[in-house]
Amino acid sequence: MTKEKIFSIVKKNLLDILEDADESAVTPDKSMKELGANSLDIVEVVSTSMRELKVKIPRSELNTLTNIGQLVDALYAAVNNKVDA
Amino acid sequence: MTEALITLHYEESGIVILQMQDQAKKNALGTVFVEKLTEALHQVAQRAEVRVCVLRGLEEVFCAGGDEEMLLALAQGKIVASDIMLSRTMLEVPIPTIAVMEGHAVGGGLTLGLCCDIVMMARESRYGCSFMNMGFTPGMGTTRLLALAVGEYIAAEMMLGGQFFRGAHFEGRSQINYILPREQMWRKAMQVAAAIAEKPRFALEMLKRDLSLKKRRLFEEARTNEVPMHQYCFALPETAQRIQENYVSTKKH
Repeated sequence: MTKEKIFSIVKKNLLDILEDADESAVTPDKSMKELGANSLDIVEVVSTSMRELKVKIPRSELNTLTNIGQLVDALYAAVNNKVDA
Repeated sequence: MTEALITLHYEESGIVILQMQDQAKKNALGTVFVEKLTEALHQVAQRAEVRVCVLRGLEEVFCAGGDEEMLLALAQGKIVASDIMLSRTMLEVPIPTIAVMEGHAVGGGLTLGLCCDIVMMARESRYGCSFMNMGFTPGMGTTRLLALAVGEYIAAEMMLGGQFFRGAHFEGRSQINYILPREQMWRKAMQVAAAIAEKPRFALEMLKRDLSLKKRRLFEEARTNEVPMHQYCFALPETAQRIQENYVSTKKH
């Protein structure tokens, strides 16, 4: 799976969860907070995306991420590790 | 200690505002917090001039539910679930209670609000049951009280799946009194409280006692079933591990 595909999954979930977010504003350099997400909105976006991609990223790692691009990278790495395993 | 975790503000109208304001721990239900909250609720009960109690949390968080220390103490058998009587204390407040859940309410924090007679949610805040996300069954009366508030099927989804729904999700499909944009909630809460505060205390007390009977019965029923389920879940070593893993993220945010 490509990074672009993962970004589109995260973006779709984010727009579903944050009903009033502006689609064009969702870019990898943005944080979900900047897009108006509160702490539990973020939990929902991340857990829904992990479920969809059938991967789990430890909370300790998620905690270090600061923008959407980094989340996509972490999901991308997790998806590829799963394929290798 | 800098600022009080809980404050009580008595208004002349007979309204008492119970403010939960543990900024650092997001009003999580830890030992000290629960002790202070219980104390405050007992104080409210003893003041003859108050006629309605408004329970308020922080803007972002109403109550984050059981804290790590409390849940680990349960998992390690240091305390038993049957000792956690906060829900009952809330249900037993002799005057009407209003939960103004402007911020998120999670797990036991949500149930604390649902123990009030009148409940308000914010459209944009999130409400959910995180118990099963940590691998153990719900407590504090949640298994029955949540169903009363949002219906059995929605309650089942929330308890089994552990999602956090926006307040807006419950509009038109729950018993929640008001689901409003956060900034409109306090004004509405004060209107609701004022209408109650003008009634005589003796009548309010009798009617409250009567109206809360269903919730008090449900709580006892829930407790009867929740305690043995907890004993099973908390006896498993993996539960403590899941609790610790769950709290890794919240520590930094």
